[in-house]
Amino acid sequence: MSITIPIGPQHPALKEPISLRMTIDGEVIKDADIRLGYNHRGVEKLFEGKTYIQNIYVAERICGICSHSHTTCYVNGVEKLSGLEIPKRAAYIRVLIAELERIHSHLLWLGVAGHEAGFDSFFMYTWRDREIVMDILEEISGNRVHYAINTIGGVRRDIDETQKTKILNHLKVLRERTQYYKNLGTNEPSFVARLSGVGKLSREDAIALCAVGPTLRASGVDMDVRKDDPYNCYEEIPFEVCTSDTCDVLGRTVVRINEVLQSYDIIEYVLKNLPAGDVRVKAPRKVPEGETVSRYEAPRGENIHYIKSNGTDKPERLKVRAPTLGNYPATVAMLKNGFIADIPLIFAAIDPCICCAERMAEIQDVKTGSTEIKTFDELKKYSKKFDKHTEHKKDVEWPL
Amino acid sequence: MTEEIIINKLKELSGGKIIEAVNPSTKRIYIKVLPENLIEVISVLKEKLNFLHLSTITGVDKGQTFEILYHFASKDSVLTVRTEVPRDKPEIKTITSIIPGSILYEREIQDMFGIKVLEIPDPRPLLLPDDWPAGVCPLRKDFKYQRPEEIIPGGNK
Repeated sequence: MSITIPIGPQHPALKEPISLRMTIDGEVIKDADIRLGYNHRGVEKLFEGKTYIQNIYVAERICGICSHSHTTCYVNGVEKLSGLEIPKRAAYIRVLIAELERIHSHLLWLGVAGHEAGFDSFFMYTWRDREIVMDILEEISGNRVHYAINTIGGVRRDIDETQKTKILNHLKVLRERTQYYKNLGTNEPSFVARLSGVGKLSREDAIALCAVGPTLRASGVDMDVRKDDPYNCYEEIPFEVCTSDTCDVLGRTVVRINEVLQSYDIIEYVLKNLPAGDVRVKAPRKVPEGETVSRYEAPRGENIHYIKSNGTDKPERLKVRAPTLGNYPATVAMLKNGFIADIPLIFAAIDPCICCAERMAEIQDVKTGSTEIKTFDELKKYSKKFDKHTEHKKDVEWPL
Repeated sequence: MTEEIIINKLKELSGGKIIEAVNPSTKRIYIKVLPENLIEVISVLKEKLNFLHLSTITGVDKGQTFEILYHFASKDSVLTVRTEVPRDKPEIKTITSIIPGSILYEREIQDMFGIKVLEIPDPRPLLLPDDWPAGVCPLRKDFKYQRPEEIIPGGNK
């Protein structure tokens, strides 16, 4: 008999509204189903009614963590359509913010992974260090989360020498600590034992299911938009694409720690080679007719915007595909044949509580293969009816 | 492989099924095919030209027709396959047999544009609620959102 357990969409243990349906057989997950739409805000329709400048701020609010990813992807596309060449200094500042964002997102993820694996001091360490990154971002842009640094034609704020030295000093501390986490995360025996072999996703599956970002790179595919399709001067900046061949949660952790270390190198390079000059050029309000595909490597993977303009100051169509949607089919594949105890780890940020899920059971007759859904009340009635036919023995002797 | 080589190879391998192929900027290719030739061209792209990754599927309302764009990416380039279906009969065949990862994007297109994806393994709605009225497609241009009048329980006495 297999049972379907619904988890979410509103659940004390879930951080975001999503509905998961796990078909389980004992401890083993036989099938997983995802139902989306609980957080759908109709952003794509909203874009069509707002001007290009207003849309920067709408795009910023698609996500609370990779807010810079969506605006950079969007403004890069609009600049391409308008034929604008942004100053090099602006492109470098965009890279600087992008890499700081990647560090803060990955440190957050590492903490959550540590927490789900039962390694809470790891969670507290990484989140303490994330505060340093947030402080740097506040120093540069004035905001901790929605940096609002991008505008069409460049960036809105410049950085000066004192800020540069401050960031470089902070980086020294961060680099030392991240190196320590790398040693800890890959050598601590119980942590490694908890993560390795969990959520297997083979290289073939990862490619076939169109996974993106660290999920794909941990399955041994070196796809990174920054290398394959460079934007914002990434072709000039030396860095390596981090991959792992273990295809499990441990591999994804290693990839992310290595990416953080690469990001420190990128930031150092950017600050030491920051070109002089303006940070923005004047952009026209109207965008000529055309279409473009803009790609960006967000912390979670490839982010893609398709922009179609019609010659006015409002876009005809703006399609956004954030990396998480691309990873859902792969997540279902990872969950299959895993254990219930691994759901939180595989979903990383999601921490479901199985016992308080709704009481609804799908009963499968193993002999005939037929399935029916029964509520808890119906199950009780069924058991009473079943009970009537069985002979009640009275005054039976205790066998022992 | 440069864009020009990719376009020439694709034209050669698909045997005149490409109506139009343009390369407006570096690493960007846009090709146009008829809906009935879509699957054939996509399998050529995947098997012969190494376009394994489907980034997303975009729908565009163009009035009399719907444009469906399949954005593919490889190490060399980003290729968009464009096809058009009529508004009176919006139907397209699924590509899940070639690219299994396309399922969520196809379900999204079904929800938002009302384009019927034929032979899709899982036709349930993805983003719209279960009680959403049939035939109302939010991303079509003729859909205008109107906020329902607010009714305060116990108010207006």
